Amino acid sequence: MLGQIISNGLLMGFIYSLVAVGLTLTWGVMDITNFAHGEMLMLGMYSAFWMFQLYSIDPLLSIPISAAVIFVLGILIYKLIIKKVLGGTGLTALLATFGLSMFLKNLVQYLWTPNYRYINGAIVTDNKIVIGNIILGMPQVVAAIGSIAMTLIVIYFMNKTKTGKAIQATALNRDTASLMGIDTGKIYAITFGLSGACVGVAGALMSSFFPIYPQSGALYSILAFVIVALGGFGNIKGALFAGLIIGLTEAVGGYFLGTQFKYALVFLIYLIVIQVRPKGLFGW
Amino acid sequence: MKSKLALFLVLIMLISTMATGCTSSQTQAPAEPPKTEDPANEPEGPAAGEPVKVGAILPLSGSAAATGVKLKYAIEVAQEIINGEHPDIALPLAETMGLPNLGNAPIQVVFSDHQGNPEIAKTEAERLIQNEKVAALVGAYQSSATKPASQSAERFKVPFVAGSSSSAALTERGLNYFTRIAPNDDMETEVFFEYLKYLNEETNADIKTIGVVFIDNEYGVHAAEMVDKWLEEKYAADGFEKVVAVKYPTDVTSVDTEVQQIKAANPDVLFHASYIGDITQFVKKYKEFEFSPKAVVNYCGGFQDTQFVVNLDKDGDFFSGGAACAPTLFSTMEVADKINELFKVKSGGENIDGPALEEFASLMVVADAINQAKSTNGDAIMEVIRTAKFDAPYFSTGAIQFDEKGQNFYSASFIVQTQGAEYEAVFPVEIQTAKPIAPFPTWTERK
Repeated sequence: MLGQIISNGLLMGFIYSLVAVGLTLTWGVMDITNFAHGEMLMLGMYSAFWMFQLYSIDPLLSIPISAAVIFVLGILIYKLIIKKVLGGTGLTALLATFGLSMFLKNLVQYLWTPNYRYINGAIVTDNKIVIGNIILGMPQVVAAIGSIAMTLIVIYFMNKTKTGKAIQATALNRDTASLMGIDTGKIYAITFGLSGACVGVAGALMSSFFPIYPQSGALYSILAFVIVALGGFGNIKGALFAGLIIGLTEAVGGYFLGTQFKYALVFLIYLIVIQVRPKGLFGW
Repeated sequence: MKSKLALFLVLIMLISTMATGCTSSQTQAPAEPPKTEDPANEPEGPAAGEPVKVGAILPLSGSAAATGVKLKYAIEVAQEIINGEHPDIALPLAETMGLPNLGNAPIQVVFSDHQGNPEIAKTEAERLIQNEKVAALVGAYQSSATKPASQSAERFKVPFVAGSSSSAALTERGLNYFTRIAPNDDMETEVFFEYLKYLNEETNADIKTIGVVFIDNEYGVHAAEMVDKWLEEKYAADGFEKVVAVKYPTDVTSVDTEVQQIKAANPDVLFHASYIGDITQFVKKYKEFEFSPKAVVNYCGGFQDTQFVVNLDKDGDFFSGGAACAPTLFSTMEVADKINELFKVKSGGENIDGPALEEFASLMVVADAINQAKSTNGDAIMEVIRTAKFDAPYFSTGAIQFDEKGQNFYSASFIVQTQGAEYEAVFPVEIQTAKPIAPFPTWTERK
């Protein structure tokens, strides 16, 4: 039984990680708390759902489409909202994204009703891997593999490409980066877009096993904030490991201490860690 | 870094504020009503031609919005029947326009969204009473929201008729202006046990051990308490025994851990108190982890929402639950069928479900009571609500009448079971449209 619980926790942890990787890019690099991150995830799920519903494109195949759609949405959010409030206090951006999150949720509810929707009949639906007594749902396994792959792509992009290094330079010091010839406005736009692409991928991966409705990104978003703070702001590897810690805490702690406490345990772990390492486990 | 932590603190505060509605019930003691704002002391009826306002507090956004919107459609159907001329529907107030005893004044429903948050439900109830001057309130679906909203109504002496809220605690508070149409979880639990006994007698299910799976709010916690109560008082003697209770948070990303706990205890039957999003996730996980109980009974909540069979199709088969209506019965219930037709126009073809029909009934009762009272005075309306017997041919019981606590003792609840993605009435036998199937076939046995 413990093996099953740990497996469940790890699989969920990888998915949490990918959602958090998107957030850590904007929070860590731009110092902007994007309250609409969960709604971007929700839109990623809806884009996969509509691709399946309207054009019979399997969620796995619609991953690039969802990523592209939310990448563009991320850039638009930056250009139309974030850019205007960058010079203000952190609270201004926070409230702007909070307003955006409310707007997106209500818009989706208006356009597509608040009904819970599921994708039945996807390639991975109803498939599973059985190892001894451990049952692993194929949708979750595929989502976990997809999350790891996307996280590695982001790590590669950040460390091996010029744009990625420019993002890191901008994160360290925006003014100096600007003096060195980096177009920081463009970098910010790309970072927001990349954050969107991460949740676009996560949304498409999750759409085959999680209900899709206007509030579906909300709880993932809250957990992502905890994961980013736990892993260290702007640290992608930190987000990956912190996601796993949260997934395991939720599963194992919930099983032994009571499922009603599983999210309380998650926040407790966060509070304990910041007492020991205020900058997060991998913060610098 | 400091700014980030500061922002994070702000974030946590905002999240806590948003989440208050989802975690626990609010139990404020009724305070003294403001003396200057007592609608009970206001003029008795609306001015000629003026509509009579009724407030409807529902979860129109938030995680229960999918259900809330359907409840709104049902209330709109009731409003349509009351305000229009529908001589073909054998219901009080259907034949004439508006309220005949008040100069054919129309009913105007003022909808309000509580977002599933008890605190908002309370403030919205006060807003509707003080600003909109509603004569009565209906709603609020989630018991945790109905509780504070009805306490506000009590303060202002405004009648509150709850349609589908099921926590028995709501009618145990000694409120004078609160009544409820749906069977409460106390009554539902008794019916569930009787159903299980019937299954044991009629089939070879041999159901003994019980698992209770419930959401951590007023609705779920109280339902779980009722299982304990009935076991202790009566049904433990019949050999029933609770082996596991799994309480889960109001918002969940995954129910894997919960299902593992249930699977480890391996109960014969599950008592579920869950909303539509949760119950659907649970069923999917039961299938994934190959957990097949002999039966599952669901309190009034997500199972009754027709999206249950839409989303799960045949995977949702063989689940049971209390219900106020079943589309398979409509062929023999003319009024219910006509209500359903009007409902389907609004819902895009989806059938009316039990909670929606109960919310429909709540507005019909309120309108009928105002008409009989010939007044919008809260005390006069309440006098009629407490003493009259209301025709309700859309329910299998045919009537609504409230006891001294405000509970409808003609509560229309029977057991339905999903068979072939349809809700079939299976218990009691007098209204059976199909024989119940028990035990559950295992997931691998299903076609």
